[in-house]
Order: sequence, then C-alpha cells, then structure tokens
Amino acid sequence: MIKGLLKKDLYNLSTYKASLIIVILFCGIAIIGTEAVTFGPVIICSIIGMISLSTFSYDEISKSNKYILTLPTSRKEIVKEKFILAIGSTILGGILGLLLTIIVINVMNYLRPENIINIDYESLIITTIGGMWGISLIQSIQIPSIYKWGAEKGRIQMFILLFVLIVIVLGIAFLLMKANFYINVEMIESFMNKYGLILLAFFMIIMYYISYRISYKIYKKKEE
Amino acid sequence: MKNNIELQNLTKKYVGFELKDISFNVPEGCIVGLIGENGAGKTTTIKSILNITKADGVIKIFGKDNKAYEKEIKKEIGVVLDDSFLSDYLTAKQINSIIKDAYKNWNENKFYDLLKQFNLPTDKLVKDFSSGMKMKLKIATAISHNPKLLILDEPTSGLDPVVRSEILDIFRKYIEEDETRSILLSTHITTDLEHISDYIVFIEKGKMVFNLPTNELLENYGIIKCSEEDFLKIDKNDYIKYRKQKYQYEILTSNKNNIRKRYNIATIDKPSIEDIMLFYIKGEK
Repeated sequence: MIKGLLKKDLYNLSTYKASLIIVILFCGIAIIGTEAVTFGPVIICSIIGMISLSTFSYDEISKSNKYILTLPTSRKEIVKEKFILAIGSTILGGILGLLLTIIVINVMNYLRPENIINIDYESLIITTIGGMWGISLIQSIQIPSIYKWGAEKGRIQMFILLFVLIVIVLGIAFLLMKANFYINVEMIESFMNKYGLILLAFFMIIMYYISYRISYKIYKKKEE
Repeated sequence: MKNNIELQNLTKKYVGFELKDISFNVPEGCIVGLIGENGAGKTTTIKSILNITKADGVIKIFGKDNKAYEKEIKKEIGVVLDDSFLSDYLTAKQINSIIKDAYKNWNENKFYDLLKQFNLPTDKLVKDFSSGMKMKLKIATAISHNPKLLILDEPTSGLDPVVRSEILDIFRKYIEEDETRSILLSTHITTDLEHISDYIVFIEKGKMVFNLPTNELLENYGIIKCSEEDFLKIDKNDYIKYRKQKYQYEILTSNKNNIRKRYNIATIDKPSIEDIMLFYIKGEK
C-alpha cells in the first residue's frame, strides 16, 4: 500500500508543478546574475523538501487519514510512506540543485569563454550535502510535530523547537567562549575534510530514524 | 448463519461521552441499519469496528479479531465514510491508480463501469463534484474490489431523494449478487432503512436501545392515539413510551396485538422507524 500512498501524495503535489518550474528558473537566473555556485542546491533542496511536507495539509483538508486507515494498510506503513517521501524529496532537491548549478555554469562558460567560472566540485557537493542535512533536520523535527499537533500547529511548534535548538547551540558556544575553551579550528577542519561527508550522511540517517520512531509512536496512539 | 461482524460489549470512553456495552451481529446476507441521533455513538461504533479508534470489548470480523488480523480483514471490506475520502485534489482516474495498489482483487473494469453508470467524469477533481457525485464515487471505490462486507457511515446524508434511491438500489444489488455479503449502514435518515435493512440497531446516548429485525419492528410496534382517560387505563408495562400532545396522548407499544386485545383498542397506527426513534428519544414513561 506504500506505493499507493506515495502515488496519492505525488498526485496531490503535482499542483506545485508550475511553482516548482518558476523556482528552478528563478534559481537559474540568480546563478547567472550572482555567479554564485553554492546556493542553488540549498535553495532547491529546501523548497522541494518543504513542499513534500505540504502533503500533511492536503490530508488534513480532505480528512483523508481516517479513510486511509480503512484500507488494508497499517499505521506503520502510513508513517513510513511520509518519510520515504520526505527523504526522497530531499535527495531529489539536492540532485536537481546540483545539476542545475552545473548546467547553468557550463552554459555560461560556453557562452562567455572570456569569463570562465571554475566549479569547485568538492565544495559544491559539500554545500549540497549541507543543504540536504539542514532540510533533513527541519523535516525530522517537523514530521513528529505535525503528527502530534496537526499540520498548522505543527509548523508553529517546529519553529519553536528550531529556535530552542539554535538558542541551545549558540548558548553552548557562548559558554565555551566565556570559559576560554580552546578550539583547535585546524584540527576540526582537517577532521571535517576527511570525515565530514560521512558524518553528515550518518547524522542524517540517525535523525530520520529517531524522527520516524517518534512519529510512529505518536501516530500509533492517535485517534482519527 | 455466519456473522460477518460480531460485537460484544463494545465500550469507548471520551470526556463527556461514553459508548457502553454495544453488542450486535451483522449476519451474512443481511443489511443492518445503525440508527440514532447525531452524536449518539454510531460513528464511534463504526470507527471502533475498523480499529480507527481504540475501544474495549470483543470485535470480530469474519470470525477474526479486528486488531490481530486488521490488514487481512480490511482486504475484504469496503468502507464509505461521510466526511472522509482519499483526497479532494484527485481525479477518479488517479483514485483508480492509487486504490488498485491497495487491493489485490481490485476490478478496474468494474470501477470504470460504475463511474459510467453513475455518469461520473474521470478527469475532474473530486473537489468540483457535487455531494451526490462524491458519494457515488466513494461507493464505486468501496465496491470495486468485491468486498464481503460493506461498512457505510451516513452514505445518504445530504443527498436528494433521487440520488438516495439510486444509492439504495446499488446496495440492494450488491447484497443480491452474493449471499455471503453483508452491509452495516449507519444513518439518521431512517426511511432509507425501512426499504432495505434486515435488522435495526438503535443507539441512544452511547447505549444500545434495541437490536431487532426490521419487519418485526414495523409489524409489532404500534402507535395508539387516545384521550387522557384512556391513557390512564393502560398498564405501564404495556407500552414503551408516551408523548403528551395538545389534545391527546400518543403511546408507543412493542406488541400492538396484545394491547389491542387487552384494552379493546380498534385503531393502532403503524409507526415508521423515525416515529419509533422519536418516541424513544422524546417520549416519557
């Protein structure tokens, strides 16, 4: 049934087709204008990642969750499907952003051979993964929030949670600075260069997994 | 006769409402009507049967526990809910493509034949359908995998008499096609049930008032209209409820032949299910 549920969400999301094409075009134009190589993947990944979460709103408007529970499926499958869609959209966003940047820059280089822009593929990939990591963090917080409080309230709760997280991280950084804690930036940089991508990917998987477990726990008890 | 649904002591508590000890069966080949006011507990009963809401008590569908065999059971059930469907932003064609992945025995041809029979467009968004069209689409979706059991929550509410009659014909035909099939139909439009149901289960404020064969209800129940003097002569045990009108008393009895003989009353009106329901809700004892 996961396949059917995915189809339902993708059909619902097909209404975003036109907006998505406009966003991609806008990003393309912005890359041409700014000659910036790195922001395309982040923007597109964020937009596609967030759009995927709007399927919760569609479900809420049509009250479809109650009906879906009458079909031969389980609450586990329903939650799993939402995560497949969220992860899929993040990956798709990352790939689309990466490809768009590469295509636009190469076309620009072809058309303006006197002003070649060099693409640093390594940093482009790192930026893409970074963007994907960011959106996966938002999704991992937002999906359980939506299951708990609904699509509208869930969004507000997500922003509160995100704000709290940022405050905690900044607070720790501030306290470390105050305590004159020595941070070996070079060591961190070399460590990140070596293991950064693996670490980001690993944390992404862990975040999604924890978020899935929490979401399922909430949805299992939820009454429609 | 086998039961497609068996409910024993179904109980569900909410803040300010309790569904208490609901027990009834839905036998094969039968249409069982679940009646009651809005908020009486009909939808909660249906949601509990479908395990959408967690309730206490024994719920068996096709002889199997509804929680332990949930997925297996749901393959053989078709459901129509008054206020919920897949999505309003889909077309009938897209619904076919989604639902065929849910049921192994989904009959695409049957689905499209039903759409044709109901004059439903395949490429129009559901949100642009009228209430009658939406309901017909829900019914087509519910019966196109040839389920053994149909569970319908208020399938005729808000529909005009012509569409209601068409829909009731569909249910009648569905039952006639296979004698092992059955329907549990909840409604507050009780006139629909007089024509098609075999049993009536009446729920009031979360409690089951009666569970009776429809013909027994319509044949044995009666309404006596009499003066206060005559009313006072009737033993309390011989009637269910009475209603004091401006110039007369109206009395509901569950055994009109007995009351006719005992009190020598010539005219006893035949009540509709709605009349019976109203007596139980509004009447006094």
